[in-house]
Amino acid sequence: MSASTAVVPFWRNVKIIGVIAQFVFVIALVAGVGILVNNVVTALAKANLPADFSFLGKPAGIPIAERAVPYQVTDTYARALLIGFLNTLKVAVVGVVLATVIGVLMGVMRLSSNWLVRTMASVYVEVLRNIPLAVQIVFWYSAVLLPFPPRISDPIALPGGLIMSNVGLAFPFLYPTYRFGVWVPYLIAAAVLACVAWWWRRRALAKADRVGSVWPFPVVTFLVVAGLGLGLSYVGRSVPGDLTFTFEADRGRGTTAFVVDGKSRPAAFVPVAIEIEKASLTVSSQNLVESRQDVRGSVRFPLISESEADAFEFAFADAEAAEERGLQLSFDKYPSIATIYVDTNGNGKLDAGEDVDPATSRGYGGVDVVMTVTNFRRTLVSDRDGQVRTPTFKHADDVAAAAVEESAAPRAGTRFSAFGQAATATVSESALTAKTEIQPVGALVFSRAYVPVSNYEGGMRLTVNYLALLLALVVYTSAFIAEIVRGGILAVPKGQREAARAIGLSGTQTFSLIIFPQAMRIVLPPMISQYLNLTKNSSLASLAGYAELFVIASVVSNQTGAAIPIALLLIGSYLVISLAFSVVLNQVNARLALVER
Amino acid sequence: MIQPRPAPVKSHGFRFWLRKNLFNGPFNTVLTFVAAVVVAWSLYNLANFIFVEGSWGQVWRNMRLFGVYRYPVEYLWRPLLALGIMLGLMGVMAGAGGRKSIVAGAFLPIQGFVAVVSIVAILFWPSVRFLWPGALVLGFLGYFIGSRWPRSVKYLPWGWGVWLVVGYLLLSGLTTGGTLGKVPVRDWGGFLLTLILFTGIIPSFPIGIALALGRNSKLPVIKYFCIGFIEVVRGAPLIMWLFIASLLLPLILNVDANSLPAIMRAYVAITLFSAAYMAENVRGGLQAVPRGQGEAARALGLSAWQTTLLIVLPQALRAVIPAIVGQAIGLFKDTSLVFIVGLVDFFKVGDIVSVQPEALLVTGGVKLEVFLFIAVIYFFFAYRMSIASRQLEKRLGVGER
Repeated sequence: MSASTAVVPFWRNVKIIGVIAQFVFVIALVAGVGILVNNVVTALAKANLPADFSFLGKPAGIPIAERAVPYQVTDTYARALLIGFLNTLKVAVVGVVLATVIGVLMGVMRLSSNWLVRTMASVYVEVLRNIPLAVQIVFWYSAVLLPFPPRISDPIALPGGLIMSNVGLAFPFLYPTYRFGVWVPYLIAAAVLACVAWWWRRRALAKADRVGSVWPFPVVTFLVVAGLGLGLSYVGRSVPGDLTFTFEADRGRGTTAFVVDGKSRPAAFVPVAIEIEKASLTVSSQNLVESRQDVRGSVRFPLISESEADAFEFAFADAEAAEERGLQLSFDKYPSIATIYVDTNGNGKLDAGEDVDPATSRGYGGVDVVMTVTNFRRTLVSDRDGQVRTPTFKHADDVAAAAVEESAAPRAGTRFSAFGQAATATVSESALTAKTEIQPVGALVFSRAYVPVSNYEGGMRLTVNYLALLLALVVYTSAFIAEIVRGGILAVPKGQREAARAIGLSGTQTFSLIIFPQAMRIVLPPMISQYLNLTKNSSLASLAGYAELFVIASVVSNQTGAAIPIALLLIGSYLVISLAFSVVLNQVNARLALVER
Repeated sequence: MIQPRPAPVKSHGFRFWLRKNLFNGPFNTVLTFVAAVVVAWSLYNLANFIFVEGSWGQVWRNMRLFGVYRYPVEYLWRPLLALGIMLGLMGVMAGAGGRKSIVAGAFLPIQGFVAVVSIVAILFWPSVRFLWPGALVLGFLGYFIGSRWPRSVKYLPWGWGVWLVVGYLLLSGLTTGGTLGKVPVRDWGGFLLTLILFTGIIPSFPIGIALALGRNSKLPVIKYFCIGFIEVVRGAPLIMWLFIASLLLPLILNVDANSLPAIMRAYVAITLFSAAYMAENVRGGLQAVPRGQGEAARALGLSAWQTTLLIVLPQALRAVIPAIVGQAIGLFKDTSLVFIVGLVDFFKVGDIVSVQPEALLVTGGVKLEVFLFIAVIYFFFAYRMSIASRQLEKRLGVGER
């Protein structure tokens, strides 16, 4: 009997052993999981906790400041979680773009021939990737961003309309208006024509058997047609008859709305010009701590730029008392920020120590200062809900009357002055009036950011929480991307560069046509996994107080006790995100794969 | 007539270095000046903050919290003894490998760190005045033993095993009261806790290898189970697993929530999470082993198990040692996420310290100081590991053979 025909007993047959092993494994798995699930079910029943998803339809009662779509506290848990998911995407998408830009820049800098630049980039990479992200988030949030000027009324106004304070960053932004519909057909036409141009250019290239770039043609076509449409939307613009603007100058609030048949519907992003002939505003001075420094006797008026009014006048509400004490104003930033001081050496300006009140050895706090503006004018764009806000001016006469009233009253606490009560006591009929005018718009409107009272209005606003998380994620991930880029560029064989130089390509051409495309092939897959890491790392948002998916999910879980459904939802959402990334990764890999013959 | 040639340009020396590295061409010269301004500005601000503006008293006063959190002072000799034994074991390894070995390269800076702390302890911390130097001495004792009797390395795995058990017993204590009085787990914290959680990478090794082998298995059930486990775990962030573990582990195991301390839940989550990543690293190594190795082993008559354990795995693991060190760095940083389950690790202590009443008295708060300190400590260890990883990469010649 030859060996080949020997009968292998079944217990030594590899195939059968395999089947048996799997069978045993399945039984063990099912038994184990069964016991665990049973445990969970009994425990949930004992603790009376929800085990299904029915809680999602109940009102959540979770306030979320940061939201991409409308949300109210009374909305459901499902909607709260959706807001969280969108917030995750918001930080992830912006973060990926910025991290790539900075990471590529740092990666290239690490290969610079300049020793200083190279070393700087190395230090950046080594330091940032070796410090936990959690530490970096807290660092950005509580050590860098929160110590920014603590009052919204004193933001740092940067060039280009940027405003930064510890509430966040606001900057001018383009918004679609009620005339956006005029532009839509052009956009569709532009997209169609771009496709046609792309197809035509590709055929032409193929016909001529030429190598060339396809993309400039469709891109230019799209830009020209879309630009034409945008331009045309500005032609013959006028204000629709049913568009109204109601403005209460005293409260500094206004609403833009479409009024049809007596029913009003808010009109979003409508520019309105407001003009107030003469108005006043009273502010109390305060002693503050800002960026580790004492700020003494500081008076902060709403941020008004000098060009927005013809004249500014400043006076102490209680002029007699101020004169008695010798108080004077010294402007740090005209016309919005001033310091109260006493000119002890008589040189007419604030010197060191002159802002300290000898009586309290602190600054001159709680002194009311009145600002009076002449011909204040501002063009604002209403927000998504049609709301407009301006500084809450009072009629100049009212303020004067109130000041008289107050000086007559006994001065009790100077810190929280009695101005508010006095004003209500002497409310006069001379209500503040303003001239308003709705301005015509095209498809888009450029909205500037302002600080009328206690929060940003207009423009695009990013909270300090979002900024902290974004900055930390971007900086942390960019260190890893820099390493990937550096490795990718180094991995391109030296001969490629030499050959490119030998056939006469310039340095830039060598990089953009020879090195970069080949480095891309190596760089992209690990880069995409870094993008996924960034997205997953955004779950540390709670450290910056940003309401991201995981943060909201844990709040929901704490409120409802629905730990199991929430866990499943979270795992599901993250799997969807991961899967989306791996689909992209596979596509990229397929496109980049070397075509081997 | 031949024109005299200009003298050759000096190709060494400081001025040549400057010209080559900083001022070769107008673009680079501009770049150098811009970079110099940026560097000078950053360094000035940093130095100004560290030496002038910063108030470091709050960090200094709370060193014990940073180190061990609420671990009782009278028992502090126990964690430090565990640390000393660990240093001793590392010392044996380093001593046996010789002064130029990678282990020694990692061991000596850590000893340096301990030495600095020892000096500070002798000067300022009476409760641990002799304990830190003791740990230092144990480390050097190990180094001496290792270099004197290099063959003692053979017993090291046993040493580490014993250390894990003894270390745990030392920390938790055995009796109620007395020298070995019990210390509840919730009092463990600070850097001690960070290190304990970091040891989660040790059990993740065997689990990760098993998962990697399972993923390469021909048996579909086992293969897809492993793929499912690895991908699901890797798909979601660690912070979510910590959260889920802290909520669900007591439910799943049907035990009272109080009988399962948070540190255990976090440990389980960290170990399993780390195991999934470990599995992917090991799988990369398995793919790098040429097929012929396995086939040759089978041809020699080794069984499937022998082939895997003796031929394939050693080669696979050797190829991925740098990747594993990279993962260890990642885990070391990720231990900072345990704040989510209410544990007070090194990072979380920073939070506590910066809101203490004394801290709030300081104008502007002390967050910057506290988190700068924490960042420096994390950086020291993580950077040291990444240097070791790079040396390993070179030494092993990964990608060169």
